[in-house]
Amino acid sequence: MSVGEAPVKIRRSGKARNKAVGWMFILPNFVGFAILTLVPILVLFYMAFTEWNIFGGSEWVGLENFRRLFGDASFYKALTNTLYYTGLHVPLTLAVSLGLAILLNSKLRGLAFFRTAAFFPYITSIVAVALVWNMLFSPDSGAINQGLSALGIDNPPGWTTSTTWAMPAVIIVGTWREAGYYMLLFLAGLQTVPRELYEAAFSDGANAWQRFIHVTLPCLRPTTYFVTILLTIQSLKVFDLVLVMTNGGPGQATLVLAQFTYQKGFIENQFGYGSSAAVVLFLISLAVTIFQFLYNKRRDA
Amino acid sequence: MKHSMKWGAGLVAVASLALAGCASNGDSTTATESTGTSSQDPVTLSMAGWSLDSTPEFQTLADAFHAANPDITIEVNEYKSGDDYDTQMIADLAAGSAPDLYVLKTLKNFFTYQDGGQLLDVSDVAANYDSSTNGLSTYAVDGKTFAVPYRQDSWYLYYDKDLFDQAGVGYPDGTWTWDDYAAAAGELKVGLDGDDVFGTYQHGWQSTVQGLANAQSPGADILSGDFGYMKPFYDRAVALQDNGAQVDFNTLSTNQLSYQSQFGTQKTAMLIMGSWYVGAYLTQVGTGDALEFNWGIAPAPQLDASTTSNPVTFADPTAIGINPAIDDSKVDAAKKFLAFIGGEEAGVALANIGITSAYASETVTAAYFALDGVPNDDLSKFTFSTHETVPENPVSADTAAVQSILGDMHSAIMSEGTSVDDAIAEAEARVKNEVLNQ
Repeated sequence: MSVGEAPVKIRRSGKARNKAVGWMFILPNFVGFAILTLVPILVLFYMAFTEWNIFGGSEWVGLENFRRLFGDASFYKALTNTLYYTGLHVPLTLAVSLGLAILLNSKLRGLAFFRTAAFFPYITSIVAVALVWNMLFSPDSGAINQGLSALGIDNPPGWTTSTTWAMPAVIIVGTWREAGYYMLLFLAGLQTVPRELYEAAFSDGANAWQRFIHVTLPCLRPTTYFVTILLTIQSLKVFDLVLVMTNGGPGQATLVLAQFTYQKGFIENQFGYGSSAAVVLFLISLAVTIFQFLYNKRRDA
Repeated sequence: MKHSMKWGAGLVAVASLALAGCASNGDSTTATESTGTSSQDPVTLSMAGWSLDSTPEFQTLADAFHAANPDITIEVNEYKSGDDYDTQMIADLAAGSAPDLYVLKTLKNFFTYQDGGQLLDVSDVAANYDSSTNGLSTYAVDGKTFAVPYRQDSWYLYYDKDLFDQAGVGYPDGTWTWDDYAAAAGELKVGLDGDDVFGTYQHGWQSTVQGLANAQSPGADILSGDFGYMKPFYDRAVALQDNGAQVDFNTLSTNQLSYQSQFGTQKTAMLIMGSWYVGAYLTQVGTGDALEFNWGIAPAPQLDASTTSNPVTFADPTAIGINPAIDDSKVDAAKKFLAFIGGEEAGVALANIGITSAYASETVTAAYFALDGVPNDDLSKFTFSTHETVPENPVSADTAAVQSILGDMHSAIMSEGTSVDDAIAEAEARVKNEVLNQ
């Protein structure tokens, strides 16, 4: 402490200034995040232990909401549906967006147009998307079933009007919508793959598929990890698409957790109970994300 | 030490990511200004309404009241229509930015507002009304009245006389039971023989089946959790769509059909719908959105002949209540308005735009049938003036939750994804599990 006093002091103040500069960079975003997102979410955690009808004060009820939640058959239906949606939607979107990214990474004519076109669904109004897809999925007069009948399929699925096919229909539209966005992320990741690796693999006699498996995929791992986490969280909290397409589906076939929360809160005016469902959704998202984080960490090492 | 700090930072980062993932989009609510001046005249009150372009009743009431009370002006603010109206209203009330007066669009949510203390006690206004004003008792809780109805609808059977003539089927004569109705729908489908024209049209709302089932079935009570009485109604509805006599539920929901366009452009010979459609139809004829043809109203089909002289139907009244956050100086003016809307002057003003007012009298009936385009036959007049109208739902804390479950049951049955018996059993189990045991 006494010998290298001067250097330690400079190092300390340098470090402190770096810290201060760092904080200043993130402060604007963090303040907005804190006020508009973090505080309401902390209030949500409080709300989950109360009974509140939005007017007036809330009544503390402890774990009663959670006890009720775990005995609620609709909650389990919503949970199953959410996991079903996530389980199918994540791999499908990963595959489609990765495929699109690889396709659009080559030197095609009109590349900029194709990349923009792939991104269009993501920026289109969700209500317009749902309306048009509902008409496409219409069991008798929709284009999709007419196409399937032309191909010779006798009993085309009922899509959004059938309890078994409503969720696949929503998943298809969800993938269509989000593939463009994740394609962009993959495109960015693909730019970081060094060309020498491809050339080395090519000269070693690897065909396109082997190059993909052994060069592209490993180099893309950080991007894939990032996309998977984002995709999983987005899928677990899906709401607007389900609401405008099927509003919970025939019966409860497409009821998801976020919609369950909305129903309990805004339609049945039980905000405390709805909040407890939202807390459960948060914990699930957190658990899945931590699991993916640890899995990736182990693979890295 | 450093390692665990990295771990901690990592966890916080992960938590933030997950938290950001849980962020929700907020809907912007319209901020309404109550530009109230002090206790002296003139006073301006703000009132919430919806779809002002196609729903003239709010402005009509405001204008009629202003004519009688020139020193009080009512400003109508437009809110979202449909289910969103209540969501927006509740949010505004909680935020303190709601107008002085607001319309209680659905009786189902009356409990929410009243229980949440969002309605001023207007028992003094209600006491000055007599039995000519229907629906007042619906808004009474614990001996106090919290809103005054201005409109009392009823569900009728609308029928297109031209299409009936074309198919060679006899008009409804006021004695129809459900079997007569189903038989006529079948005959109409055969007689009309066009791909696009149906015998009858049942809109997608759960009330199209459940409302009449609840009103007409003896001992029916949705809060009891027993829904077996709905079975014959659903069996009949599913049979009608299977026979092609009515558009099937799946087509109408994916293609977003509207009952106004179905009946108004003569794509269906019959329609069971609320009395508000008369005014809407006449407006649409005026704008060219609907065709002009001979039509009439008949009482809704009954369970059996015993209720022919006083047909049983359902519909909720619509009322206006006062926001308790209103300026003290404006309370008297607001109460004056409530004392007006359930009376004869308001009734006649509403009849002149084709709305069935809460106030019932010969004068109002005469004004209604003097309207250009309203069918003048005796059966229509009987239908309008003689009916026993039951509210669609009881006022209770459990109603909203039970209605949600029944709505799921309705879509499960009508989309033919679940059989009638299974869906009813499932709904009964859900009500027991989610509502009654709480």
